[in-house]
Amino acid sequence: MAPRRKIVPPGDAPRVIDQGSVWILVAAPSIWAAHFLISYWVAAIWCAKLGRGTSLAEPRWIIAGLGALCIGAIIGLAVLAVRRYGGVFVIFEEITESSERGRDRFVGHVALLLCVLSAAAILFTVIPGMVLGQC
Amino acid sequence: MVLAGCGGRHNWLAAAGEEARAVETLFWIVLVGAGVIWALVVGLAVYAHRAEAKPHREREARRFILWGGVALPVLVVGGLLIWGLLILRDITADDGALTVRVDGERWWWRVIYDTPEGPVTTANEIRLPLGERALFRLTADDVIHSFWVPALGGKMDMIPGRETTLALTPRRLGNWGGLCAEFCGGAHALMRFDAIVMEPDDFAAWLAQEAQPARVAMDDPGFAIFAEEGCGACHAIRGTEAQGPVGPDLTHLASRDKLGAGIYDMTPENIARWITETDAMKPDIDMPSYPGLRGARLDTLVSFLMSLE
Repeated sequence: MAPRRKIVPPGDAPRVIDQGSVWILVAAPSIWAAHFLISYWVAAIWCAKLGRGTSLAEPRWIIAGLGALCIGAIIGLAVLAVRRYGGVFVIFEEITESSERGRDRFVGHVALLLCVLSAAAILFTVIPGMVLGQC
Repeated sequence: MVLAGCGGRHNWLAAAGEEARAVETLFWIVLVGAGVIWALVVGLAVYAHRAEAKPHREREARRFILWGGVALPVLVVGGLLIWGLLILRDITADDGALTVRVDGERWWWRVIYDTPEGPVTTANEIRLPLGERALFRLTADDVIHSFWVPALGGKMDMIPGRETTLALTPRRLGNWGGLCAEFCGGAHALMRFDAIVMEPDDFAAWLAQEAQPARVAMDDPGFAIFAEEGCGACHAIRGTEAQGPVGPDLTHLASRDKLGAGIYDMTPENIARWITETDAMKPDIDMPSYPGLRGARLDTLVSFLMSLE
């Protein structure tokens, strides 16, 4: 007997990042952390294998390329925070409304700020790789 | 008290080296910039406190927050980061007219000049030619140390198992102070050295002299005592059978200004006390005291050591 599949109506498929989910808050900082860790690994392994004074030409482009991809993903998250959560960058009135809508707007606002912070942090991870040319 | 570090031979604002000047320029710009930002923030706080409470236009407020709170900090911090990294890149770049290897030990400095004629080993004193870039290759034998001559340039960690580099380009003659800037155990604060900047000709003459073996007569009674007491097991005197690699090279001991890694004047009295009360002069060091050495025997040994010029 074939396993029964749960039929999900179109449009109601569960999304990890959507209204009501707080995952959007940790997504952007997680992308920064992953970029930082991978950059560290790439540079450390490269320099450990090839030795002191080796050019960082290849790993620096891996780090920068990865940085561009991550910033792209963070921009995508920022768009989600604005469109699905109604997040705004600067708030002019208190978000104290105890409702789904109020909570979404608060999460969207915080997510947007974290997106900016994470993008700047990725930029600051890429800069040393671009300036320092060798191990 | 606060300004105690701003004078004398450890003065990092003495502009005695190219690299120290680069760091100093960055310091003044950061200081002035921080002052401007502080004044702006305090000014805004005063304005917010005094101004009549009325709403600003949302568009202006949003623009102010975006530019002042996001764009400006990212640009300023990013710019300073790039500037700092460029200085770091320059002062660690792998080139120099002179290469000096310095190995950090608890609690002294093994110094080796790489010359076309071969390595020249000395200890606890570094001499540099004025205006020439010297590249230091830094290592550590036991724990992490940090090599710093504040008046000449930046500091750099010495890490066991790794080699780090640091360039110093002296711009002022003088006897500058160097020290270990990373806590490394009991006698950390007594791990010092002199960094003496000389005219290039004087430096070349000094290095040529330093490369020579010691002028020791094999029947020198002082050397006989040195050998009998087993000093040669740890200390080397080039040109003799004493080739111990553990402690500082003593080939030209008496030509150095200081004893015990930059902490005592090189005098017969201090050498005598160093031998007999080592642990009192520099606690925790590996060299044992020789309290049994006294009288004429000690005097003969000290005279021999003072003859190693």
